Amino acid sequence: MISLIWRDTKKNVELISKSVPCAYAIDYMPADKIDTAYISTDKQNVDYEVKISEILKYEPMDDLIFKRKTGLKAILKISSIRKINRVPISEFDMEEGFKELTSFAMGEKYQVDYREKEAFSLSPEAKEVLEDAESKGYDIPVSLVNKLVKYKKSLPYNKYEKLLKRVDLELKKREIDPFEAVGIIAAQSIGEPGTQMTMRTFHFAGVVEMNVTLGLPRLIEIVDARRIPSTPSMTIYLTEKYRKNEEKVRELIKNLENTTIIDVADIITDVGDMSLTIKIDRNKSRERLVSMGDILSALEKRKGIIYNEIDEDSISIKLQQESFKMLYQVQEQLKSTPIKGVNKISRAIARIDAKEDAWVIYTQGSNLREVLNIEGVDSNRTTTNDIIEIENVFGIEAARNAIYREAENTLSEQGLNVDKRHLMLVADMMTFSGTVRAVGRQGISGRKSSVLARAAFEITSKHLLKAGLLGEIDPLAGVAENIIVGQPITLGTGAIDLVYKGNKK
Amino acid sequence: MSKFNVLEHEIVPEHHLVPVEEEESVLTKLNVTKDDLPKIGINDPTIKALEEIHGKLVPGRIVKIIRKSPTAGYYEYYRIIVKSVM
Repeated sequence: MISLIWRDTKKNVELISKSVPCAYAIDYMPADKIDTAYISTDKQNVDYEVKISEILKYEPMDDLIFKRKTGLKAILKISSIRKINRVPISEFDMEEGFKELTSFAMGEKYQVDYREKEAFSLSPEAKEVLEDAESKGYDIPVSLVNKLVKYKKSLPYNKYEKLLKRVDLELKKREIDPFEAVGIIAAQSIGEPGTQMTMRTFHFAGVVEMNVTLGLPRLIEIVDARRIPSTPSMTIYLTEKYRKNEEKVRELIKNLENTTIIDVADIITDVGDMSLTIKIDRNKSRERLVSMGDILSALEKRKGIIYNEIDEDSISIKLQQESFKMLYQVQEQLKSTPIKGVNKISRAIARIDAKEDAWVIYTQGSNLREVLNIEGVDSNRTTTNDIIEIENVFGIEAARNAIYREAENTLSEQGLNVDKRHLMLVADMMTFSGTVRAVGRQGISGRKSSVLARAAFEITSKHLLKAGLLGEIDPLAGVAENIIVGQPITLGTGAIDLVYKGNKK
Repeated sequence: MSKFNVLEHEIVPEHHLVPVEEEESVLTKLNVTKDDLPKIGINDPTIKALEEIHGKLVPGRIVKIIRKSPTAGYYEYYRIIVKSVM
């Protein structure tokens, strides 16, 4: 449903709120019939929802509220107004597709169908097995339950019961013991194969310009939770309409790659008559599907320039304010003026993925949020290797999955087999606090609750001094603290305390 | 926020809000207090999406996450909604 959006002053909004229902004179005539409108008081967010009962052509009337004094075109009969939770303009599908609201615009609010995902469901037979196990107090994982289903049918009941009992027993045998140092084991299990990893970055599948960091540098990057990985890249899956259509894929790539003016044109500075000439390179512009119109519309946003001369493949520009410094500055700014494409994505290539049997786009540079909103992109599968970006767009649980997936891929790519549980433990620890934390001084180790453990790790004096000033108490519950004071550590058999309860009478 | 539903993405596991009445039994099952649970920020995109379904959520509510695991098939994980994460 299309609605009207406009920017207004807080004063006008107050006036409308006071005198609802009222008639409001505006300087814009909406083309379609409208019953809902939104008002924005700053340029980026919508704050008020307005119900409109009628739109009339402007004529002087009693009890009118005026948006402005001149150029009035229509009267809106407002039946109600209410404050809503802030909605950014970007959530409206506007005809003009702009980011800032200046006066009036027609747009459609995106309707997202929010549903809880229900991917996990057991077959009725599997549920029965799970219930059988639970009634006997066995804790059997879902992956095994699915395998046990066929035995329930083929075996007599008493044997099936025995089988369940045996499965439970074997599982219990393999459980990790209480007070086992799982963290140390995980650290060593990942650390040792790490010594065999390469230190190089690799070219991506024969494309020279595209590098992907792999091996040890990548693993360090993952556990350090870097804000920006050294080679961010995206894997873009496409919707059904696009994935087999080579032409559409090529077009999509051209719309993904960030193109600036310098990519398709030369900028010539003439100091003599203080002018800049943008000379378009025919071949390059054809290759990137950039037309003259695209460049002109990109330049439109720039202020302080006057068009001197425009012909077929060059644009001559003069400055409003003539100075050499400005001329130089404008030249530099023009070079990096974006014409089209998604910000941060410098290169995109498409390949036919054998497993998918369809086109998949790989990019250098990553901008998840914007790419997901592009038509033709499968927003349910497209991902990036930037963990922090995944955290921001999809949340902490997705970041946990991303850490696991990236670490697993990096290790297995080098032919190293690390038990999945170690990597899962690292991923769980890194995301425990609700945000991705690095392993190390800035993250997990630096935020341990024990003073002595922190002091033993790094920057001893700082931690001890701070603890002294604040009067921190160390309950000596961990490993490092107990080694420092010379006590048995609280692991394995050392975890057991003897408590004397005294005589019972 | 945008056109897509984060809960539908394959990298996002299932998130379900635990009803207030069931919170107690969850905590007894895990033998923990609310403070011991892993945290999830109220501004997390998945919580924002859950708010679209369940209405405004307050810190202190528990979210059940059904994770896909390469070893156990599926398993449950719980996070508590907190005001801010750091």
